[in-house]
Amino acid sequence: MNCRINKPALLSLTCLLGVFLHASVFAFDPDFGQVVHKKNSLYNSISVYQSGSLMTLQFGRQQDFAVESQVDMDDLRSHILEYTKMTFSGLLYNSEPNSMLVLGLGGGVIPREMRHYFPSMKIDVAEIDQAILPIAKDYFGFRPDDNMKVHVRDGRVFVKKQLRLDPVPKYDLIILDAFNGDYIPFHLMTKEFMEEVKGILSDDGVIVANVFYTNRLFDAEFKTFLEVFGRGQVFYGEDSGNAMIVSPGPGCPILTSEEAVLKATEVQDKLGLSFDFTRIARLLEPKAQPDPQAQILTDDRAPVNQLREQEI
Amino acid sequence: MNNSDTQVQQVTPAPSRFSLPAVSIVLITCVCGWFMMQLEILGVRILVPYFGSAVYVVTGSVIGVFLLSLSIGYMLGGWLCSKMNTWILLGTVMILVGIWKCAIPLIKGPICDPISDSGIDEKWGALIASLILFGTPTILLGTVSPATVHWLTARTGNSGFSAGLVLATSTMASFTGCIVTAFYLVLFSLRRTLFTSGIILAILGAVVLVLITVSMRKQQYSPCDSIGGQQ
Repeated sequence: MNCRINKPALLSLTCLLGVFLHASVFAFDPDFGQVVHKKNSLYNSISVYQSGSLMTLQFGRQQDFAVESQVDMDDLRSHILEYTKMTFSGLLYNSEPNSMLVLGLGGGVIPREMRHYFPSMKIDVAEIDQAILPIAKDYFGFRPDDNMKVHVRDGRVFVKKQLRLDPVPKYDLIILDAFNGDYIPFHLMTKEFMEEVKGILSDDGVIVANVFYTNRLFDAEFKTFLEVFGRGQVFYGEDSGNAMIVSPGPGCPILTSEEAVLKATEVQDKLGLSFDFTRIARLLEPKAQPDPQAQILTDDRAPVNQLREQEI
Repeated sequence: MNNSDTQVQQVTPAPSRFSLPAVSIVLITCVCGWFMMQLEILGVRILVPYFGSAVYVVTGSVIGVFLLSLSIGYMLGGWLCSKMNTWILLGTVMILVGIWKCAIPLIKGPICDPISDSGIDEKWGALIASLILFGTPTILLGTVSPATVHWLTARTGNSGFSAGLVLATSTMASFTGCIVTAFYLVLFSLRRTLFTSGIILAILGAVVLVLITVSMRKQQYSPCDSIGGQQ
């Protein structure tokens, strides 16, 4: 079959689609601007784009539109991507965290913003790719300090190492945001991994996992969370395919929608958050349940790529 | 065995290149090539939960250990094939590797956990674990090619043809094992895949051993002469 495609028409159609889809992580923005930095690291083909004060971090080819981070350097408090705001949902369960662990650095928006609101919080970040930290510092305004360290290490290995310390450090907030381009490595999704994470979560701690809810993998991930933590709630992104699976420790409450919004107002007033936190709280679907057919992901069986390709 | 060398030559004066035993032995190298790559691909999946998905675990430890073990296995196979019956060697290798594959799901935790817990750098930890878990079966599988080349050369009298045929077919089988495992088998339970393939390999090895024993009993040495090198 000989199929002729009108390229300009296809391009404008794609642009149009991009405007409508408006997915934050698959944000189609033809105007990321100039490439200001390019690096092929051991793990990623990293590109940094600049358009005015807007910096964009991307892994892989530009055509893939998989954006890891986006920062307005003139307004660091503005969260360009919806999902970084959504990771704050953990604060609805524990609004005074003393320590935080983030797996996956990217542009460093999450630890940087958390540091802004919690100047004395102990923050650990595990990032497998050593090429990311200099980029986060140079282009995305990320500033590690004595109490905010980046560990160049696989997330799972980092958690295992923490478990071997005596005493085991416990975190009040654990944010799982390790992506390789647009997917989470399988060993950071399994039941065995979640059990290890549970070992470093404090009693009133909260674990927040950034996932995509647009494919079958989401149900498997959600079910794995419920299996390990016993309970979990989901915040579904409005402007993106991102969802936060939030599992509070035994000392934290499960929230209804009203409680979440009330708590959000309270936290907003206390911290002076730069964005409308009640909007994030409204993304909570308290009754969300995974597909009963979904299978728990284990180290033994985690068909993540297959599940990822099955759209809901 | 060696006492009957002259008798064998009398019984089978000029075996054809594509006799049933020749086809079988090439198929066996294919099976072994397949299962070797299958183990290598699954090896990455086995180690990653313990040592992370850093580059040195995936490429360094697993691929490196397979290459090292293969080179030892080639040497060992070249040495062994003149010492023992090729078919007995092949059968034994398949049974041992089959058993080892079945054992991997059971021993991986007890081996990897202490290494990972010892606090050793995960680079070296992954390398050591990979050596312990995959070294032995890969050395054993490495003996298959030289032994088969030896046997075929004895039958055909053409070492270049024999080596070319064995390397080409077993590498093609390795490629297939690689693709099928990486594309499809990883979707299933690791434990079940290892058990199933281990059992298949062990059964095939047992069949080879039974057939060779039966044919040796009947004094029909044609499919199983080990005296090729002396022809």
